[in-house]
Amino acid sequence: MPMTALDEAKMRVRQCIESGESHGVLGLIRKADGVRPYLFEEASDVDFLVLSPKWLLAKQAVSLLSKLPDVYRLSVICRGCDERAIRELIKRNRVDAKRLHMIGLACDADQAGACLCPAPAPSSVDIGTVVPGVDFCDDPGTKAFVSGDRKARRQLWQEAFKKCIKCYGCRNACPLCHCSPCKLADGLWVDTGKVPADPVTFHLIRAFHLADGCVGCGACQDACPVGIPLMMLQWPMRQALENEYGYCAGSDTGQRSPLFSSLTQCPSAGLPTPGWIDSREAGE
Amino acid sequence: MTIQFVKTICPYCGCGCGILLEIVDQTIVAARPDNDHPVSRGRLCIKGWHAHEFVHHPDRLTHPLAKNRGRFHKISWDEAMDIAIDRLSSAAGRAGPAGIGGFSSARCTNEENYLFQKFIRAGFGTNNVDHCARLCHGPTAVAMARAFGSGAMTNSIQDVVLSDCILMFGSNAPETHPIIMGRIYEAQAAGARLIVVDPRRTAAAQNATLHLAVTPGGDIPLINGMMRHILDAGLEDRAFISERTQGFEDMARHLDQWPLERAAGLSGIAGNQICAAAEQYAGAQRASLFFCMGITQHSFGTANVHALCNLAMLCGQVGRPGAGVNPLRGQNNVQGACDVGALPDYLPGYQRVADPGARSIFEAAWKRPLSAEPGLTLTEMTAVAGETIRALYIMGENPMMSDPDINEVKTRLKRLDFLMVQDIFMTETAKMADLVLPGACFAEKNGTFTNTERRVQRVRAAVPPPGDALDDFSILCRLGNKLGLDFNYADSSQALVELSCLAPIYGGIDFQRVAPHGLQWPCPTHDHPGTPCLHQGVFSRGQGLFVIPEFALPAESADEGYPFALITGRMFAHYHTGTMSRRSEALNREAETAFVQIHPDDAGDRGISEGDRVRVSTRRGSIDLSACLTPCIRPGSMFIPFHFSEAPANALTFAVLDPVSKIPSFKLCAAGLERGKNDDTHGA
Repeated sequence: MPMTALDEAKMRVRQCIESGESHGVLGLIRKADGVRPYLFEEASDVDFLVLSPKWLLAKQAVSLLSKLPDVYRLSVICRGCDERAIRELIKRNRVDAKRLHMIGLACDADQAGACLCPAPAPSSVDIGTVVPGVDFCDDPGTKAFVSGDRKARRQLWQEAFKKCIKCYGCRNACPLCHCSPCKLADGLWVDTGKVPADPVTFHLIRAFHLADGCVGCGACQDACPVGIPLMMLQWPMRQALENEYGYCAGSDTGQRSPLFSSLTQCPSAGLPTPGWIDSREAGE
Repeated sequence: MTIQFVKTICPYCGCGCGILLEIVDQTIVAARPDNDHPVSRGRLCIKGWHAHEFVHHPDRLTHPLAKNRGRFHKISWDEAMDIAIDRLSSAAGRAGPAGIGGFSSARCTNEENYLFQKFIRAGFGTNNVDHCARLCHGPTAVAMARAFGSGAMTNSIQDVVLSDCILMFGSNAPETHPIIMGRIYEAQAAGARLIVVDPRRTAAAQNATLHLAVTPGGDIPLINGMMRHILDAGLEDRAFISERTQGFEDMARHLDQWPLERAAGLSGIAGNQICAAAEQYAGAQRASLFFCMGITQHSFGTANVHALCNLAMLCGQVGRPGAGVNPLRGQNNVQGACDVGALPDYLPGYQRVADPGARSIFEAAWKRPLSAEPGLTLTEMTAVAGETIRALYIMGENPMMSDPDINEVKTRLKRLDFLMVQDIFMTETAKMADLVLPGACFAEKNGTFTNTERRVQRVRAAVPPPGDALDDFSILCRLGNKLGLDFNYADSSQALVELSCLAPIYGGIDFQRVAPHGLQWPCPTHDHPGTPCLHQGVFSRGQGLFVIPEFALPAESADEGYPFALITGRMFAHYHTGTMSRRSEALNREAETAFVQIHPDDAGDRGISEGDRVRVSTRRGSIDLSACLTPCIRPGSMFIPFHFSEAPANALTFAVLDPVSKIPSFKLCAAGLERGKNDDTHGA
């Protein structure tokens, strides 16, 4: 019988611990209380390792690393989205790459479909089999937020933002969010004490803060209790950076964001006023 | 260094969301969503994300405290137990068993509530035990038990995605039950119609397909008007009515008194809108009815709930997945506190104290004679505090903030011979106590909470209580043993075993079975899968009962001196009396202090601008707070959240009670508004 992804995962994690390669591996465990994240430090615990439900661990891995002693070497089971987030954090000097090792998990076709994920595997796959990416345009409901009649699109966004309950879950779940104090909570632009949050001062400040940091992991959208398609808010900017500057956040640990470069380094001089801000078609 | 992740349940509202506490060396450093939780599925509201922030707060009570000449002194637990039992027993000795009363806690676990009511009932021979369900869904428990045979939410939260019509009465779920509202939006995105009935243009109303801005207190005219139109248009479910209900003929005759014009006049809703709502609800394949405090917190709350049950039965919109009548319970464990008998008329599992058969089972199990007479409700106990009630034991409740007319509550509590308060902070109520016992918060105890959809869920200790504080279960065990009861439980799981033997609805529930994803009662046996949807095929009581809801005018109406209709309630960033949420930095940043929402026209008439200090007065008292101008409140009414002790909304409300359920009319009283006078110091 061929090895399942779970068998592969258990073998890899056990090996990681037993060889001393890592002091601990952050993954998911299923015990009597259900599934939860767990720091595997003993090989005997690995029998209880699981890979689902989808549970992005990048943010927790980074948070743990900051608390663990400097000599602690941590591994974390990473999906493609986790890997992009961690790479971007390494690039931004928020994580020491030497202390954090990634064990790559390729998502299965169901998960890729559920996430409408264009890149459902990390660069180096230790667990699972790579499946093709999914174009979010396959889902008309999602596509409608970034293409088609502008008035209709505006209506869609207004209706979505009106549901915001101001949980800050999008910010809290985002592996890249890190301002201190947070610009949404420093009392300058965002009104306090009222729901829904104002789209311009809340959602757009958040979106622009992440313009060149967003790796499209979907943690914000997964955490949104009211179903605002937050990835589609980020998508046009990510697309523009990729199309016009060849920049893709999280694709590696070296590429500098165009926002950090001087304009003379721009690839093509004389770019038009960015019509891409609100449109899928304009970028094509 | 040890790092742990502990799965537990959010301590705020009745949604019962799963949270994952991250613990580094006995300090909780984060609360995150639990992706493996059936209700919240990896999502949380602002309160859930910050649920850990009050746990290690320096204000936590860490020692038992006794009051001596007006000042608190630290004492040992042994001394505290001596004082507690000595003073309670002597009060009972002087005034008889009915001189003792207990307020149990919708914050605490099922096991703790079970022990609390057992302590009062078996220890003192009185049924004077109640809790704050009296202040929220008391009318629901009474009316739904009478109409359907069970006072709880009929369906599951996830059921709503099956509905094609959702009718919400008096619930601002986006702020008060946000994760449930997310599910409702999911249904709406799939094509369901959302009809919201609320005098305020709440966040729910703003997202509704149809918002009916009912006159405060005008729900019965609206519902009766809808029912009358449904009958006139022949949209009722005849088969359901004839097979599954009784009392319909009387009901139908009663509706002759509710022609559309009268309904429209008294509800403030145009006739065509009443008809539209009625047609959408009756015509739906599966319609879900949700309601909350806007229905119950009236002096006619029980009648309001009956009206809703009538509407659902008329249309056959109950007893199927996606079709039901769903009260949204307020506190994390208010459902459980009711289930396990923290009510004056019910033993655990909704068995009536007046039923000799039920009582004898408990007498045999507890080895003590029990009183056959239903006890006093919470509001009644407060009203006779210092008279027939001589000593009160309050666990995890704060009536000095939560009860109506708190100036009067203060006077009453002062008259007690002995007041004992068990809590995690020095609340407004604890300050008045003779003895304060430091309890534990949700993150420091093992047990179960039952959420609004009857899901019994496991709560897990992540850290020990601070200082000498003890978890409430241990405190109750010590008290019980000191009183001579056999409270020798090794841990809370043993209490759940005992409860499951005595309360058939919890018969199959134990720690192991509820550990991963909970179980929904009724769950009578250890191989029963639980019951996601009640009343399928047959109502719990047999036939559903139509009960004619008598329409009454509000006990107090706006007049010249007090021209506003005052509505009290919650806002999204805080919870109830603010004891926990106001000690959370993130929540406090969102709303630091008290405010009153008024319509810009009313503000303009009085020269009031946004943020101005204003004084709101009723016949009970006055409070000073800042004005918040919003077109979402109708002219002539105002809204004040009741979280803020510096301007407590309940200094304004009054203790006019619903005659059946004894709930106070928090949602409606007459109030006056004036610009604040900065040099004026007399407030509440």
